[in-house]
Amino acid sequence: MSSFAYHKPFRAVNFICHAVQAKNVYLVGDFNGWNATAHPMKQMPDHSWLLSLELKHGHHRYAFLVDGILTLDPRAQGITRDDKGNRVSLVPVS
Amino acid sequence: MKTAATRKQGIQAQRFKPTPSQTPPTGKIHPVIVYPYKQPTQYDDLAALYEMIGNLVSTGERYTRPITVIDRKTHAAMAGNKAFLDFRRNTVARSSDILDAWCVDTCQMWNTGLGLAFEQGSNEDVYWLIPGDFDYGTAVGREVLGRLHDLPEIVLELNQDFCIGEIATDHCNSKQLIDTYGTFALLYNWFPVEAQEIRQFTERPRSEFFAVRHEFLREVLAQRWYPYEQTVVMLLQAIFAKRKISRFFVGNISDLPEGKESLASAIQQVERTERVLKAVWRERNASNKNWLEQYQTLEGRSEQVRRAAIVVLQNLLG
Repeated sequence: MSSFAYHKPFRAVNFICHAVQAKNVYLVGDFNGWNATAHPMKQMPDHSWLLSLELKHGHHRYAFLVDGILTLDPRAQGITRDDKGNRVSLVPVS
Repeated sequence: MKTAATRKQGIQAQRFKPTPSQTPPTGKIHPVIVYPYKQPTQYDDLAALYEMIGNLVSTGERYTRPITVIDRKTHAAMAGNKAFLDFRRNTVARSSDILDAWCVDTCQMWNTGLGLAFEQGSNEDVYWLIPGDFDYGTAVGREVLGRLHDLPEIVLELNQDFCIGEIATDHCNSKQLIDTYGTFALLYNWFPVEAQEIRQFTERPRSEFFAVRHEFLREVLAQRWYPYEQTVVMLLQAIFAKRKISRFFVGNISDLPEGKESLASAIQQVERTERVLKAVWRERNASNKNWLEQYQTLEGRSEQVRRAAIVVLQNLLG
């Protein structure tokens, strides 16, 4: 049960994007200032894209940049908007 | 295309380094529990709910003492019932402040509880509505209980105005059918632009799970409080005012048997949604020239939509 304990340790989160035709996929979010190139995802043998990132306790907004196109995670636990008003995904870390 | 974010430990992961600008929010969370109108025959579900609330409040500095709204009619119906009185005294009153109120319906219970919490809150605070009539005592229900606190925390942490909790149901669940063929169909008639915006966030615009920020709640409380389907009205108001909305999946959970919809109840809910949408539309448009002509056109279409919804509900629930 969380209670805003910001001192809690980081937790690893696996981000998976099934964009088999994509040439490149990046993870963007609050955690990297929505930097378009900070977190490239790695293509796996099944052609899906994977990145594991340690995030601190709390809720984080994110999206995938699939060949430059901001893409929601359809299996995300939530939806919200970024500061520019784009719909983005939401992941809880506890 | 399928994508997913899953939590997993024990693998090589890059570490995110927090920036100094990310400071913890200072607001408090005010839980407001709406006690079931019809007292369930067993107390396991409510006991699980109050256990969760008790744990949150005792371990988290962010939470104020919860408010439980109990309709006086519920109390009267259980007068002399030792199990009820014991539960009320030993569980509900220990974990929360009880607000006994005469309410015409659940929405008035929301209004009463959220209103009192608002009066006790301040600008940075968040108000968290928790319906009491769900099967929290089941294994899945307990999993959902572990996620409900995300709703107010999302509002606080991500500076949102409204976070709606979405529950998963199968396609033939009465709530799903009502929303698909009734609520959204009617919304598309009366408020087509806003309806599309709402559906970008949620398939369950009548969800009773939500958290709302102080300023938005002030706005909502100051406006006319419609007698039913408040979540739909709040979503519309959020869209009208360009408020920040989030949606969070809380899991698979069901109403207790006492609260499940019959066909008659489902039809009533569709009719209530239509009435409230008409009222909101008139309120927003009655000052416009020729509003009545437009209203009558929409009303004619609305009747067709409602009739179609009732046919579907009759086929699937009747």
